[in-house]
Amino acid sequence: MDKKYVPRITSFLCKWCSYTGADLAGTSRLQYPTAIIPIKVMCSSRVDPVFILRAFLKGSDGVLLGGCHPGDCHYETGNYHTRRRFAIVKTVFESLGLEAERIRLSWISASEGPKFARVANEFTETIIAMGENPVKKKIFL
Amino acid sequence: MNDTERSAARMRSPEGIRGSLHDFLKIAVDKGAVDSVLAPVKVPAENSYAWILMNDPAVIESASPVAPVMPVQGAKALKSLTRKGKGESRILAVMRPCEIRAGIELMKLNQVHFDNIVLVSYDCPGAVPFQDYVKDPGFSEESFGKMIASGRPGEENIKPACGICTEFSIVDSDIHFGYFGVDEGSAFVIPVSEQGAELLDAIGLDRDAKIADWESEISSIRDKRTKKRTETLSAAGERIKGLDGLINAFRKCIGCHNCMSVCPICYCRQCYFDSEVSKKDPDFIFEIAEKRGAMAFPRDKVMFHAGRMTHMSLSCVSCGFCTDACPTGIPVAEIFSYMADITQPTFEYIAGKNNGEPLPLRKFEKKELPLVHEIVKSAEGEEGSDE
Ligand code: SF4
Ligand code: FES
Repeated sequence: MDKKYVPRITSFLCKWCSYTGADLAGTSRLQYPTAIIPIKVMCSSRVDPVFILRAFLKGSDGVLLGGCHPGDCHYETGNYHTRRRFAIVKTVFESLGLEAERIRLSWISASEGPKFARVANEFTETIIAMGENPVKKKIFL
Repeated sequence: MNDTERSAARMRSPEGIRGSLHDFLKIAVDKGAVDSVLAPVKVPAENSYAWILMNDPAVIESASPVAPVMPVQGAKALKSLTRKGKGESRILAVMRPCEIRAGIELMKLNQVHFDNIVLVSYDCPGAVPFQDYVKDPGFSEESFGKMIASGRPGEENIKPACGICTEFSIVDSDIHFGYFGVDEGSAFVIPVSEQGAELLDAIGLDRDAKIADWESEISSIRDKRTKKRTETLSAAGERIKGLDGLINAFRKCIGCHNCMSVCPICYCRQCYFDSEVSKKDPDFIFEIAEKRGAMAFPRDKVMFHAGRMTHMSLSCVSCGFCTDACPTGIPVAEIFSYMADITQPTFEYIAGKNNGEPLPLRKFEKKELPLVHEIVKSAEGEEGSDE
C-alpha cells in the first residue's frame, strides 16, 4: 500500500459527548487524521446496526461509533442500548467472517479531546495496516 | 409453562391426531368455551390451504387443523386479528409450534395480543415444501398422511427447516396435543397454561393420563434433532464465511424480498431496504461502476440479507418460510438460522418463549451479560473503557 493512502473512517459521534470531544481536540490543536469523517448524531443509540453495515458495504475502510461514557448519556440510557446494538452488529460481522476489526466503539466525553485524538490516530493506524476495504473491488454485492 | 405436575387428558380418534384435534375444536365451540376457531381449511380448488376464522359449524366441519403445507405463517393471521388489541370474540387458534413462537415474538413487538386467544399446539411432523405441494397435491397429501400416521416426525418430503427443528413439540401455548410415540389413534391433551387448564375443565376433559413416556420420547427425538441442526448449520456457516462466501451465497438472489415479506417477524410497514433512502443516486452508481470497471444489478443484496440479520435474527424462530418463498432456491432459512443460533445465545435469549422477558434490544443491563460485555470490550480497542 502506498504511503499516501488515506483511509475513510466514517465516524458516528454523539452531539453531546464524542462530537464535542472531537471539537475540543480541534480547538486544542491536537492532530488527528483526515481519515476521520465525522457524522453528528443526537445520541450514539441513534445509530442503527444497518448504518454501520451500510457504511462498511459502501466502502468505508473503518467505522467508528463514539458516545458518552456509559452512565453519562445525555438521554440517560441511550448508550446502554448502543452497547447492545453494537454487540449485534459485531456478532453478525464476526459470524459472517467480515472484517469486524474495521468497526470500533469508543466512549469519549466532551472534555476528552486528547482521548479523541488518540482513538482517531490509533484506529486510523489499525485500518492503514489492514489496507483498503475489500468491498471496494466487488462487482456483485 | 408448568413443568412440574403435568397431567393430561387423552383423546382418541380413528383419524389419529387430525381427528382428535378436529373433535376438540368442535367441542370447544359447542360447549361455548370459545366463540370461534382459527385454523387451516383446504381451499375449494384443493391445491392449498388458507387460514380461516370460523364459527359456522359447517365450516368448522371442513377445517384441517393439521395441514400438510404452510402457505401463510399463522402468526401473521393472528396479527391481522389482534394487532389493534384484543378482539371481541374468544378465539381458539390451532397452530404449529413455530407459528406460536413467532406469535409470541410479535406479541413482544406489540403486534399480536393474546388476551382473547387460546393457543393450541401439536407435535409437528414438519410441513411439505410449498412448491412441492403445489406441483403435486395428491402425492403430498399422501406422504404427509403417512407421516402423521407414523407418530414420528417426518424425515423426507419436508421443508429443510423442519428437518432440523428442535422446537417441534410443546411450546408456550395454552394447550398442547402430544402424540409422538403414543399408541395409534391416541393423543394426549396437555394443559400448558392456566387458561388452557381452565378450558379443559370447562369442556369436561378429565386429566388422568400419565405422559412420562411421551415426554422421554420427545426429548430423545429432540437430542437427535439438536445434533443434526448443529451439524447442518455449522456447515452452512462455513459455506457463507467471508465476503466472497456471502456474495456467493446470494449470487442467485433476484432481490424480490419475498423472504422478507413472508417473514412473520418482519412486521414493519416500511422496511428500510424497500425505502427510498436505501436507494443510491444514479450518479453514485455510475461513479462506483467506473471505479470498479463493472457493477452488477440488483445491488445491495449482501446489505439486505446481513442487515436483516441484525434486525431480526434475535427473534428468528426458524420456521423456514423464507426458503419456501425464495424463487431461486437459496437456503435462506438455513443461513438465517445459523445466525440466529449465534446471536440469541449471545444475548442469553431464546426466541418464542413467553416468560415475561422483553426482546433483547428493548432492554439492557448496566453490567452487561458476559458475552455482550466481551464483544463491547473488544471493540473498544487498546485503551479499554470505564464501564
Ligand atoms: S426470496 Fe430469494 S431471491 Fe428473493 S430476496 Fe429473498 S433470497 Fe433473494
Ligand atoms: S447522548 Fe452521547 S451517547 Fe447518548
